[in-house]
Amino acid sequence: MTTALNPEPPDGAASLPVTLDARAVSRLRELDPDGRHGVLQRVFTAFETSLMRMLVQLGAEHENGDAGVVASVAHTLKSSSASVGALQLSKACAEVERRLHDQAPGDLQADVAKLLAAGESALVAVRAMLRG
Amino acid sequence: MTVIHPFADASQTAVPEVLLVDDDEINLLLTGLGLRERGFKLVEASSGEAALELLRDWTPDVIVLDALMPGLDGFDTCRRIRRMHGFENVPVLMLTGLDDDASITRAYEAGATDFFVKTTQWSLLAGRLHYLLRASRTRIELERSKSKLARAQDLARMGSFDWWRVDRGSRGGLRTSPEALRVFGLGPQEEVSLRLILRMVPQGDRRAFLRLLHAALKHSSVLATDVPIVLLDGRQRIIHVEAEPEFNEHGNGAGYTGIVQDVTERRQAEDRIRQLANFDALTGLPNRRQLIWRAERALEQARRQQHQFAMLLIDLDRFKLINDTLGHGAGDELLVEVGRRLRACVRHSDQVADVAPDGSANSARAHRALEAVGRLGGDEFVALLPEVTCDRDAERVAQRVLEALREPIFVSGQECFVTASVGVAIFPRDGNTVVDLLRNSDIAMYSVKAQGKNASAIYSPALASQGREKLELETALHKAIERDEIVLHYQPKIDVRAAKMVGVEALMRWQRGGTLVPPNDFMPMAEETGLIVPLSEWALREAARQARVWQDAFGFNDSIAVNLPSRLFERSDLVEHIHQSVTLYDVPHRVIRLEITEDNLMKELQNVIPSLHRLNEIGVEISIDDFGTGYSSLAYLTTLPISELKIDRSFVRELGVTPQSSAVVTAIIALARSLGLRVVAEGVESLRQLEVLHRLGCVVMQGFLFSRAVPPQELQTWLEQTVLPRKAPWIGAAVDGEGGDDGLRAAGARPFR
Repeated sequence: MTTALNPEPPDGAASLPVTLDARAVSRLRELDPDGRHGVLQRVFTAFETSLMRMLVQLGAEHENGDAGVVASVAHTLKSSSASVGALQLSKACAEVERRLHDQAPGDLQADVAKLLAAGESALVAVRAMLRG
Repeated sequence: MTVIHPFADASQTAVPEVLLVDDDEINLLLTGLGLRERGFKLVEASSGEAALELLRDWTPDVIVLDALMPGLDGFDTCRRIRRMHGFENVPVLMLTGLDDDASITRAYEAGATDFFVKTTQWSLLAGRLHYLLRASRTRIELERSKSKLARAQDLARMGSFDWWRVDRGSRGGLRTSPEALRVFGLGPQEEVSLRLILRMVPQGDRRAFLRLLHAALKHSSVLATDVPIVLLDGRQRIIHVEAEPEFNEHGNGAGYTGIVQDVTERRQAEDRIRQLANFDALTGLPNRRQLIWRAERALEQARRQQHQFAMLLIDLDRFKLINDTLGHGAGDELLVEVGRRLRACVRHSDQVADVAPDGSANSARAHRALEAVGRLGGDEFVALLPEVTCDRDAERVAQRVLEALREPIFVSGQECFVTASVGVAIFPRDGNTVVDLLRNSDIAMYSVKAQGKNASAIYSPALASQGREKLELETALHKAIERDEIVLHYQPKIDVRAAKMVGVEALMRWQRGGTLVPPNDFMPMAEETGLIVPLSEWALREAARQARVWQDAFGFNDSIAVNLPSRLFERSDLVEHIHQSVTLYDVPHRVIRLEITEDNLMKELQNVIPSLHRLNEIGVEISIDDFGTGYSSLAYLTTLPISELKIDRSFVRELGVTPQSSAVVTAIIALARSLGLRVVAEGVESLRQLEVLHRLGCVVMQGFLFSRAVPPQELQTWLEQTVLPRKAPWIGAAVDGEGGDDGLRAAGARPFR
């Protein structure tokens, strides 16, 4: 199922490679049913800005390897991505956060890579929503 | 937009203010939107530090904190908030992850009120916030109510406590509120135990208090008592304890819950009220109410134990005079001193605590504590002797009372001599009730007054019948005038030399039923009650009327003498009244002659003189009655406008018996002659008296020898049948006496037969 920023998406819109969860988006839309307050626009814009900043931060950690920073980014992104419906990213964040928290065996580089990949996909999906 | 308030209630009208703290701006934005839509007012902060900054000058209704944040996380932020003044009880909701059990525990430890799993279902979050707000409001109200209660208890010097038995491992003991501690003079942090409190109860009262506690415990009954205590700082207080038993699941008494209250001031006020209600403010002695209460108790005891008790009514003599001349202040001083002296005459006790309120005495002798002197009011005191064996006992106390007053009392710098009249009534002989005993002691006291005061008397039924007769007499006298029962009888005044009537004296009689009441039996009462005024006025009018009748009948041209008390002379309308009377019957003013006794005249001389002058001016002559018995000032006599002296009958009676009486009569006649006054001898009953009087120079006489006082119609008959035909034996004597130029010498030369 696809969804877009506009309250009523145009018929026959092409499928996107990564999509935002329709139920999450619908809950967001309920906050501003007639779109008068531009809530969706504001939320997605804020998420895009925040995500880009986080991705840059993660990119840096690829080099530095600070698990604390990675865990913090994962925690923050976990709930905000769930809120906008980027469930894959949210899931990835949760897994990384849990592993780091539990200090389970694994590779921080791999974690970062996983988060970056999921983040890039979510970024694409959000941009798609913003552009309608 | 639908606004949902699932938890809103009527008391919550203001929009709840929420501080939302989250480092994630998406969450901040979305949660903010979700809550605003549900009626909350949101302020967002993106870090713990920013939140603390906001809270410096603002207190939200609820704070929502994200648990994990960079920098100051939710837990530390919460801890710091709790340490801020005024934020101890503000509800804080910690947002945690779904699978983050550790954060939940940490949240509570940091002082969070509750936790909530982060969600995008805002309605659930809003619901939880409403719940927290309501709980917070309830808590605030509870706190307020608690502090109000504490304040009220503080004001009422009251505190609560509970006490539990030691029972199957439970600790038991006494627990007190801080207010209760204050009642016992202890600080809020101090420890208190039942033992400590018992030690505060003075030893004398401790045993009784313990007995009471044991009895209450034994029966699991309500405890309500006042107990005196001495606080650790030495202050004495009275504590009211009131507690109800608490029962365990088996129905056995498990302990008590109740209150303690410092009632010292109330008790002092009550004592003061009791004092005012039962004791005379001036003398401090028991007042009428207290006396009657004591008398009732004494009477019950006397009846039960079959002994006598006595009541002495003590009334000061001439107290009114002291009050009027020295003033009320002095009168009060005197009463205080009298009270003090009387108190010493009996085994006075102020306290009657040893007689139970129901009147039952703790011991057979406890009624002795009822013995007292009290003030009934005014100058009346009562001595209550709860047990006497005979009249003599009461008489002894009465004598002691009279004796106690013998020493002069100094008031307002003056020496005052006070005496009292004491009436005694003894139960059961003189009355079966307090009212009867009081009345009969009163009757006895009045009999003392009537017999000259400064003595005591024991009641007897004879006294009472005298009193009753007196009362009846008084009532009848009031009605006598309107019923025409008062009449005037007339006794002629005779000029023995000329053998003719020269005037009459009118004497009042009361025809009461079939009997004629002599003046001595009703005049004192008429004087006492003031009836003398209307009686005298009537007499003046009646005399004028009679003069008219006689003038018409036989040409009466003399005067009718009417006796008047001095108080009539003091009345400004006397002259007018006489004028009206004589005018009404068209007779001259000189028809009325007024007689005033020497005593009366001298007592009120200054007040009477103006009247005498005015009367004289209109032709009414004045005669002085009973002359020689009083203490006339001769200097005054020379200036008074009087025309006649009447020699008192006592001197006339003794004439020829004792030489002194003829000396007095001679002197009076000489005095009268030198002042140009007429002399009349009263009470002449024998020819011998007539003879001597005539010899001494007195020619006008009055007495049974000539005629008794007779009704007016008889006087005319007497004149017609005795005087005019010159048939009476005295006429011979008088005529025989005629002849000399000088009556005195003639009388001396030719004595009567």
